[in-house]
Amino acid sequence: MDSPAANAAFAKQIGIKFPLLSDMNRKMLKSYGVLKGYDEQNETYEWALRANIVIDKQGIVQFVEEGDSAVDPNTALTMCTTLHKKEPAK
Amino acid sequence: MNRKIALGLLVAIAISAAPVAPKSTTSEVAKMTLKVGDTAPDFTLLSDQWKTVKLSDYHGKKNVFLAIYVLAFTGG
Repeated sequence: MDSPAANAAFAKQIGIKFPLLSDMNRKMLKSYGVLKGYDEQNETYEWALRANIVIDKQGIVQFVEEGDSAVDPNTALTMCTTLHKKEPAK
Repeated sequence: MNRKIALGLLVAIAISAAPVAPKSTTSEVAKMTLKVGDTAPDFTLLSDQWKTVKLSDYHGKKNVFLAIYVLAFTGG
């Protein structure tokens, strides 16, 4: 699990301007169903899936992709743009 | 880019092989349980600035782009 300190160093290194979050106790991963377990030689191991999730302002999931396709964020980014365009102009 | 419309959140996770007790579901082909149309569960996580970030902080304010990265090579 990456600590906030490790994330801070990484963010500084590559100039990230958005929050890098640490799920040190894996609560969020479990609640999102992203943490998976498998049994091997009487031990249970857990790992997280790679995933992109878009959540709208009302807290509703609008887009989910997982696995290899989630390596490319462009589809999720397009979804964000679509959501923004749907919003009434202020 | 759409910095104003979408807040990108990255959960950086290094793979962890810690055994957990007592027994959990074996899953050969892992699938996410979260689906489009679900209410996203709220979470509270620590940011790289050691600040608490909640999903509910953005409710009614911003769309959220949540990227879960395993082995993000953060060095952590």
